[in-house]
Amino acid sequence: MNYGPLLFLAAFFALAGSWFGFVLTPQVQLGQLQQTNTVPAGATYPVARPGLGHQGLEVYRANGCASCHSQQVGQTGTVCDVVLTDAGTNPPALIQTLLQVRPGLSEAEAKTFLGGLPKPVLERVTKEAADAATKALTVGGAKPQVWIVPTGPDIARGWGKRRTVAEDFLFDYPVMLGSQRIGPDLADVGARLPDANWHLRHLYAPRLEVKDSTMPPYRFLFEKRRIERARSPDALPLPARLAPEAGYEIVPTPKAKALVAYVMSLRADAPLFVAPLTVAAPPPETNAVPAK
Amino acid sequence: MNPDPNEPGSPGSEAAEPKAARASVPVWLFVLFFLLLYWGMIYFDQRSAWADPQVYIPYHSAAELAVYQSRLEGPDISRGQLVFDRTCALCHGPDGRGKPGQAPPLAGSDWASAAGVNRLVRIPILGFTGPIQVNGQQYDFPTGMTPIAATRELMSDEDLANVLSFVRQAWGNKASPVTPEQVKIIRDRIGNRSTQLTAEELKGLPENM
Repeated sequence: MNYGPLLFLAAFFALAGSWFGFVLTPQVQLGQLQQTNTVPAGATYPVARPGLGHQGLEVYRANGCASCHSQQVGQTGTVCDVVLTDAGTNPPALIQTLLQVRPGLSEAEAKTFLGGLPKPVLERVTKEAADAATKALTVGGAKPQVWIVPTGPDIARGWGKRRTVAEDFLFDYPVMLGSQRIGPDLADVGARLPDANWHLRHLYAPRLEVKDSTMPPYRFLFEKRRIERARSPDALPLPARLAPEAGYEIVPTPKAKALVAYVMSLRADAPLFVAPLTVAAPPPETNAVPAK
Repeated sequence: MNPDPNEPGSPGSEAAEPKAARASVPVWLFVLFFLLLYWGMIYFDQRSAWADPQVYIPYHSAAELAVYQSRLEGPDISRGQLVFDRTCALCHGPDGRGKPGQAPPLAGSDWASAAGVNRLVRIPILGFTGPIQVNGQQYDFPTGMTPIAATRELMSDEDLANVLSFVRQAWGNKASPVTPEQVKIIRDRIGNRSTQLTAEELKGLPENM
């Protein structure tokens, strides 16, 4: 019997099916992705990485950082906190409501609770419970707020504040999501570790900053230079056992600076419609355009 | 395939050619496939959000996502800035400093940062003409300002509140925001009128609503 046509059809449908599922569908869903706005502030997101950061992406790629570091934070759920920001003008009524909303609270505790607001009244509850509590607490001008808090193992590790979404990678080419987590996830590292000098020292000698780090040192991104007139302001401050001989200094090359600029531009903490999250409100002054 | 025992010749001989025989597919396999298909459909139905690009795990639908959106407390200052740049900045300047002969400054202006908003809200609704004193300095605008927010179609209550809140909080101004409710009340009080305001008339009005 001639099975040729059958084999051809089977192979054709298997390949066509996966092409539809893995190529065409994502292209239809996300191929036309545009910049969006944060919710509720309405700021444009994402903005392009700074120029040095964009060069750093090439250094990140060339050194295979994505083989050990992923850039994708997962999320398994969303909970709500109810935060009381203003006690209003009727504290006795508010205290009565507080006792109802939070059963474990004693009356004396409720009285001291109203000092030093904002404070969370309820933590890690469902949206329905949070809305009900908010409605109950709105007495006498008191102002409760519902905070949206994403949850999940990655978020518990401190690797991010919400899940990463396609928008986060809009200006990256290639997108280096990574598939192995030999090192920690870097999707939100710019928010987690906002110190450029920390990153430079960590690249030069990882165990200076992280005990028992398995990351190899990237010393070829640094240069040992003779100190000419004065020490360079860029020179790494190193402990005696790593410091070069007297009269020399270790300075980062442009590649190291670009890589650090890229790593520090990695942030996935903007509240978006697709990934809601409550961020602490900025102080009101920042709304105003600075006086020129 | 095993050689067919009905074929002539013994196994190993030239004539014993291996052949594929037909066998009917067992019924339980059909049942299993249909169950798998049904399970897959239910899984897709519950988790796919119909391939909506806005919905990611752990959310199941756009409606569920909408529940979790935080709402803005108070005025939308960034929206107000947008409206200001499009409408007001032409004469008052993007930095709020005004332009000689066209518009008085808003940055640091005692009119813009007044404690009550009863006078301020009327200016974009009715327009303005004539002399006015801002921060102790005398200005005169014979043609004046056109009523840029004369009707709700030209500028909604929300937008007017946003842009006035922006003006009252930008460039170092530190005054309370304007709410859409205040704008609505003042618009209703004004009713139909097509003449521009003057400084004397504004001063005759109470500062607070």
